[in-house]
Amino acid sequence: MKTVGFWRAAWLVARKDLQLEWRTFDALAASVVFAVVVLLVFQFAVGGGPARQLSADALVPGVLWLAISFSSVVGIARSMDVERRGDTLAGLFRAPIDRGAIYAGKLIANAVRIALLEVILVPLAIVFFNASLGGAWLELIFVLALCSFGLCALGTLFGAIVSRVGRGEALLSTLLLPASTPLLLAGVTATGALFRGDGLASVSRWLGMAAGFGLLYFFVALATFEYVLEE
Amino acid sequence: MQRVVSRLDALVLFVTIVAIPVALWGAFLHAPTEQTMGAVQRIFYFHVPSAIMAYVAVVVLLGSSIVYLSRRDLAWDDLSKAATEVCLLFCTLVLITGPIWAKPAWGTWWTWEARLTSTLVLEILLIAALMVRRYAGNRDLGARLAAIIGITIAADVYVVHKAVDWWRGMHPEVFKAGNRGSLDERMTSVLFICMGAMFLLCITLIRLRYRTARIETRTEALRLERLD
Repeated sequence: MKTVGFWRAAWLVARKDLQLEWRTFDALAASVVFAVVVLLVFQFAVGGGPARQLSADALVPGVLWLAISFSSVVGIARSMDVERRGDTLAGLFRAPIDRGAIYAGKLIANAVRIALLEVILVPLAIVFFNASLGGAWLELIFVLALCSFGLCALGTLFGAIVSRVGRGEALLSTLLLPASTPLLLAGVTATGALFRGDGLASVSRWLGMAAGFGLLYFFVALATFEYVLEE
Repeated sequence: MQRVVSRLDALVLFVTIVAIPVALWGAFLHAPTEQTMGAVQRIFYFHVPSAIMAYVAVVVLLGSSIVYLSRRDLAWDDLSKAATEVCLLFCTLVLITGPIWAKPAWGTWWTWEARLTSTLVLEILLIAALMVRRYAGNRDLGARLAAIIGITIAADVYVVHKAVDWWRGMHPEVFKAGNRGSLDERMTSVLFICMGAMFLLCITLIRLRYRTARIETRTEALRLERLD
């Protein structure tokens, strides 16, 4: 059987891809926006501001929160993907329960998942970067819990939205990461204060903001979640 | 048969077409050259009004999203789509004119300051909202999801602004109390002319985009009717 040569075939595949891209602009637009999101997140996590010196104590908070933000995107997208494949969200929607309860349940599950991740991630980051926490473990747990709650409150809502349109991590990070910039700033600033040996009192307004952010989106999501699930 | 462009729209469009050259004349010829920054300061007559119009469009987006979710009338979704696109346009203008001014004035194209960051976040979230709308398989789903994102965008831009403001602040305060006298009288009047022209442009664009979105919605409904 006569077939086209290697380079000819490669060219045809490339041309098909580029034509598709030219017509829809989907992949390019999505990846450009995602690249800008990465720049934004890195800037607030490790560039400039109070964390300018690259000592371990200054670097760890940024790296830690980068890891938490990106892995929470992956985790939430995965959990929603499971629901999507089995079309189980539609089943939950038809169940005789409050729609807010579906949101709250998914929020709790996502929060537990992130908490387990942090239990592994935080000691690893401290060991790998040779940073010292100086015994402020309880304070660190409090900061992690507060900021992770906000991340899950918004992430669960956006995760459900993204799963309804059938897109994965790229769209979820485009929505969630820029929108949660305030949480990232609060998390990095508060964690940084702990690693520097300052108490939580010095960053109290950041903690207040993280709590306010979490509550704001918790109630926005409670009020709007049923519209996401609706057929 | 309903007109595509109503009399009121035509009037507003006409006034806008007259107002834009007046604004250009004001910004480039009438306003005096700023002493320290020179000619580059003139971009501020477009930058500031664009930023305010982006906020105006966000308010329209928030309002139409809430009304759509409570009433489920696709007309409100058409309005929210129009507001999203016009907001994205003004936001992009702000992000282009800002750095052109910032390079000579601050010596840097970009800085991670409250207003710049919140504008960038707004731009990204608007693009994401349009993506969700486009990826959603059917119209109603896209409209509902976009409305939820519209509500969160409005809340979020405010919170992002506050947060980065705490983190560091550097943007020039044009209208700070007590700072008013520092702006030349002609500069103030030109700024207000440009503000008015941009406002007219903003509502004209939203109205026209709303009209075309209405027609698209009706065409789509007719097409579905034929299919049944």
